[in-house]
Amino acid sequence: MLAAYLAIGAALFILGLVGFLTRRNLIVMFLCTELMFQGIIVNLVAFGRYPLSGPPTLHGQIFALFLLVVAAAEAALGLALVVLLYRNKGTLDANAWTLLRDA
Amino acid sequence: MTAALTTIGVLIGAVGLYLLMPGARLSSWKAATPLLLAACALAIGSSLQAFPAIYDKVAFSVFAAIGLLGGICVITNKQPVYSALFFVLVVVCVTGLLLLMQAQFLSMALLAIYAGAILVTYVFVIMLAQQGGTAAYDHTARSPLIGVLAGFVLLGIISAGLGRPEGGPPQIAMPSLAADAGAGTVRNVGLQLLTTYAVAIQIAGVLLLASMVGAVGIARRKASTGGIEEVD
Amino acid sequence: MIVLASVPPIQLDAHTLNSVYATLPLWPLFGTVAIGLMLAFNRAKEMAHYAVIAGVGAAAVLAGGVFYSMLNDGAAAAHGPGHADAARLMLVSDPPAQHAPADAHAPAAAHAPASASSAAAGHGAHGDHGPHILRYHQYTAFHWFSLGLIGGQTRWVDVNFFVDSLTGVMLIVVTFVALMVVIYSVGYMRDHHGHQEEGYERFFAWLGLFVFSMLMLVLAGNFVLLYLGWEAVGLCSYLLIGFYYQKPAAAAAAKKAFLVNRIGDFGFALGIFAIYHFLSPIVQPGENPLDYATLFKYVDKLETMSLWGVSAPTLIGLLLLCGALGKSAQFPIYVWLPDAMEGPSPVSALIHAATMVTAGVYMVARLGPIYARSPEAMDVVMWVGIIGAVLAATMAMAQHDMKRILAYSTMSQLAFMFVALGVGAPQAAIFHLYTHAFFKALLFLCAGGVMHSMGNIIDVRYFSGLKSVLPSTYRLMFIGCLALAGFPLLSGFWSKDEIVHAALDNRPWVGYVLLFTAAMTAYYTFRMFFLCFNGPTRTPPEAGDHPHDSPPVMTWPLYPLALGAIAAGFVGYGGHDGFFHKYVADSSMVATAAHTSAAWPIMLISGAIAIGAIFVAFARYGDAPRNEPDQQLLGPLWNLWNAKYLVDEIYDAIFVRPLRAFGKLLFDADRHGVDGVVNAVGATPGRLSSIAAWTQRGALQGYAVAMVLGLGLVFIVWRWLTPATGL
Repeated sequence: MLAAYLAIGAALFILGLVGFLTRRNLIVMFLCTELMFQGIIVNLVAFGRYPLSGPPTLHGQIFALFLLVVAAAEAALGLALVVLLYRNKGTLDANAWTLLRDA
Repeated sequence: MTAALTTIGVLIGAVGLYLLMPGARLSSWKAATPLLLAACALAIGSSLQAFPAIYDKVAFSVFAAIGLLGGICVITNKQPVYSALFFVLVVVCVTGLLLLMQAQFLSMALLAIYAGAILVTYVFVIMLAQQGGTAAYDHTARSPLIGVLAGFVLLGIISAGLGRPEGGPPQIAMPSLAADAGAGTVRNVGLQLLTTYAVAIQIAGVLLLASMVGAVGIARRKASTGGIEEVD
Repeated sequence: MIVLASVPPIQLDAHTLNSVYATLPLWPLFGTVAIGLMLAFNRAKEMAHYAVIAGVGAAAVLAGGVFYSMLNDGAAAAHGPGHADAARLMLVSDPPAQHAPADAHAPAAAHAPASASSAAAGHGAHGDHGPHILRYHQYTAFHWFSLGLIGGQTRWVDVNFFVDSLTGVMLIVVTFVALMVVIYSVGYMRDHHGHQEEGYERFFAWLGLFVFSMLMLVLAGNFVLLYLGWEAVGLCSYLLIGFYYQKPAAAAAAKKAFLVNRIGDFGFALGIFAIYHFLSPIVQPGENPLDYATLFKYVDKLETMSLWGVSAPTLIGLLLLCGALGKSAQFPIYVWLPDAMEGPSPVSALIHAATMVTAGVYMVARLGPIYARSPEAMDVVMWVGIIGAVLAATMAMAQHDMKRILAYSTMSQLAFMFVALGVGAPQAAIFHLYTHAFFKALLFLCAGGVMHSMGNIIDVRYFSGLKSVLPSTYRLMFIGCLALAGFPLLSGFWSKDEIVHAALDNRPWVGYVLLFTAAMTAYYTFRMFFLCFNGPTRTPPEAGDHPHDSPPVMTWPLYPLALGAIAAGFVGYGGHDGFFHKYVADSSMVATAAHTSAAWPIMLISGAIAIGAIFVAFARYGDAPRNEPDQQLLGPLWNLWNAKYLVDEIYDAIFVRPLRAFGKLLFDADRHGVDGVVNAVGATPGRLSSIAAWTQRGALQGYAVAMVLGLGLVFIVWRWLTPATGL
């Protein structure tokens, strides 16, 4: 059963990853990272529920809870930054931000 | 779950997702839908044999299928607002999966925090920054072929790992839901959090406070002093 | 530091006076610098000519002083036997070397001309002469640069001036003609309304620079300084030929003059190296082997030296002759001179007729002691002269461009001088140089006047009968043409006759060739003259409705020149006992020619030939016919002359084209081969880094893709490394 949950988690994670790689809207990209979080949460809980050895524990769930905290903090800061970027350029296009390019 | 099936599933999924990406050269909604449905069916169907009870089979199938399809909609929909709403659907399905894994408190917390708090913030930001509906950059994906390839190569690798012959200790038969001492009830999780993880929960609180202060600070900043200088 | 010493009539401290004389070449340079300052401060450019006229005038006054002091020096030496001077040098013109005692010079000097004329009987070109006395002054201005410590003493190349009577003559010629030409230019370098041409001040600046360079060439006391002057006059010639650099023909002519002169100057430089090579081992410590004085002191020792089987005087003489041929436009590298007529007419008069082109003659005459010791080199000089004289005279017969006719006649007259040098009569050559400067400058300036009046048309086919239109130019040009033709008692007559006489006495057939050439000279000169001034009055449309004579500023300088053309020859009256020959007797010129015959018969013959040729010219061209009677008479020969023997075309085919092709080959090899390799080396890192830069495009998602792919790679490696344990 672990493999089934891990497969779903991996699929969600990869969907989020593909979205992050391909979408150009900064907000949607950010949303895709949340989708990747979902996959990871499923993974963590599955590992806690179906450990490779020993009885089930709550550690996976609690790890997921802390992940929720981090995700909330990240969403707050990330969205603030997105708003700031939007104010600077008037666009949410990720391609508009290529300052690290040298030429 | 044989390696061949995994490979086929990953390939079908990749092709289907590529066809559905906005702005892809071979964009075809009609061709993508059956391919993606087949890929989901393959992924879920190959895992179902692990579930003993029919109730579990059905519940897992429903949550996983809707979750995956919702995820696909999140990344392919051209309307950011719809993406956000589809993401709520994904969160709900994940909640269901967590309930199947006896994580009652976490599932409710996830639903409350994600669907209730974070997603609302997203929708607010979308409405703030993108009042004109869809923009040009929502209609075209950035190099969809490379993105999809990179992602599904990784997925293939992970799936190959999942498909390996299972070793280690045998799976323990799961106790029933009610009698499960390890269930993620409020009581169990609360005990753990306030004893074993007492310090960590304090640090998490500080982290949240810091992020809140940071978010306020960033959001108050003027655009001209936005911290990032235009080089060119 | 002994110099221009002992000048009794002007009672001045000798050193002070010498320092004043030593400034002679600087005055024209001051004029040039003044123009430069005017330009720098953007002031009064229209006054530019005053600076140069003042500079050249000052130089002319000083030149007169130098000439006069040499005159007095000679007189004092002749009358004051007790006058000993450390700078005096006794040279013996024939081996074995005999150094006469220092106090014996005075009677020898007085005796030299007599012995030269009396002792020549039966001895051919290299007769048994008395000791040749060279009286000179050397003024060392300062040490220029050091050649190192040799023999315990520093060997300095100095800025020093070597002044003898030859220098005196050259200074007079250069400064006098230059002064007249500069004044003339004030009028010439203007349009019909009296407005200055563009580049007016540039023209005068370069004229000043030229006079400075020419004076340095004449005054130089060593070969390095001579080379400096030699190249500087070449540079000024280039600049002034190309004065109208917007005209492609002028620019090409300037380039041609410069490049052709390089050929000769290459040999000239080698000649200087040869002198150093031979003399460096034998001179005393502290002496510079490139000083004239040192060379003349050791010239007897040179005779015993040789390199590759060629005796030292021959080798040096022939190599230096290369430079003389280029500078004096002699066969076979004369081709630049006719083209040089693209420059303004005053430039043609000053540089390409009177002064610069005579530098070769001056140099060969100056190095008399060398050439006197090399019969082979003398023969080459003579042959070059004969070929050049005939070639140029025939080409001049069949030209239409007045200035080109004059250019070929200049070449022909210079060739006369070379013949004189070659038969061992350098005094005659310098005498001809001196008279030629007056009448050829006069002719060129008159031609310039015609050109000025005719709206820059100088082709005699386009105008005729200008006698009534340009009366004063007509008169002046008539005098110049008579002098060039060798009309009796005019200046050209005396000097040309002397050359013919020397040739007849030594190589009779050369004398006959020269007489024939002189006849051609008179003929083509008057052909040009009649075509221009006789016949019905015709003017080209460019001349405007009322062509008129030149303004006074262009006419007055011609009168002194005309006076010179008429009377300058009388200084040579009396032949070897005349004033001129006595004056230059103690210069560094060495006469080896014998004098066997009396002068009067030859004078009668050459005078008759000149008058006869003029009459023939009058008979054929007196009414300025437009159908070229000579062409109809001579046919293809005349056409060959008109085409200048196709020498330009032959040179083009033999030298210019192959060199150009070779240059293009090298250029292509450089651009495509060498540059290609260099560029490839430079481009390779650029290409490589552009590949690397593709991974750093600054786009967030690009980095994310790279991260994902890297993560996949890490997974693959990890799974490959760890044993298959499963989940």
